[in-house]
Amino acid sequence: MLPFFMAIAKWLQNTWWALDISSSTWAYPFVQMTHFAGLSLWIGTNLSLDLRLLGVGRKRQTAAQLSDALFAWNWTGFFIAVAGGFMLFSSAATKYIPNPAFEIKLGILIPLGVLWHILVQWHARAREQAERVTPFGRVAGLIELLLWFSVITAAVSIPNYDTH
Amino acid sequence: MLHFCEWLEKNPWIVAIDSSILISLIFEILHYSGFFLLVGSTAIVDLRVMGLAARSRTPAEVANQLFPWMWTGLSMAVFSGFFMFAGDAADFYQAITFRVKILVVLVALAFGLIVRRQVPRWSELPSIPVGAKLVALLSLLLWIGAILISVEVPAISGVG
Repeated sequence: MLPFFMAIAKWLQNTWWALDISSSTWAYPFVQMTHFAGLSLWIGTNLSLDLRLLGVGRKRQTAAQLSDALFAWNWTGFFIAVAGGFMLFSSAATKYIPNPAFEIKLGILIPLGVLWHILVQWHARAREQAERVTPFGRVAGLIELLLWFSVITAAVSIPNYDTH
Repeated sequence: MLHFCEWLEKNPWIVAIDSSILISLIFEILHYSGFFLLVGSTAIVDLRVMGLAARSRTPAEVANQLFPWMWTGLSMAVFSGFFMFAGDAADFYQAITFRVKILVVLVALAFGLIVRRQVPRWSELPSIPVGAKLVALLSLLLWIGAILISVEVPAISGVG
């Protein structure tokens, strides 16, 4: 499986946008900024909803109301983060593919986090219309909170496994 | 100040923290999570004041729900950031990009405080004043600038 992904990584690394990012001194920080700005929106809004489900913080809005209010920018943040992340990955794809922290982050934790978030968001909007959150809602919020902390842990661990 | 930074990075506690991979990792996780919480919640309030988000709720309602997370995120980022800074305090202190970063963050926080203080008043008006939207836009741009200058600290100054 690794040679297949490495072949794609090599192709990606030689695309015009990847070469532009890796050869320019200013492009890489701008792409990094895009990734982090998207993540701030995505993870910031995810954690706000999870904490509401856990019953931490102010409760004037129900989890359903909060989820509705944050929905559009939550997913906007996700797509900005994915676009920025894809560009960052493209610029050094062959370095990322064999990195175990990156493999765990992208192969396991992010798909799990996104799927769980869809479930949490659906549950919050459909079932959490009261001030008091259901036991399932609380557990679901806690799991999502832990999942995103795990994603951040894997992401900050990537340089520690960098063999290049 | 430089003497203080040199003393700080040689402090046995700071040396012990800085040389532990696990503790450094925990501070990094705290710094990123706190930062995402701070910028994410501030951005949503700014976007609401600008009329671009959560229009079903008043700006005061959105701010009331999210501002506690702004302060929580700020505390997490400042606490972990201090220890990340302390390990290489003298180098950070002398890096112009780091000084600009701190300045941009302080100005962004000042704008956040203006929004926090004024948002109940803005919510009672028939429509959000243009000045308020401008303050919110500047707050948002300052945080984007803070992210950009943060990634420039290691890229240009080689510290962090």
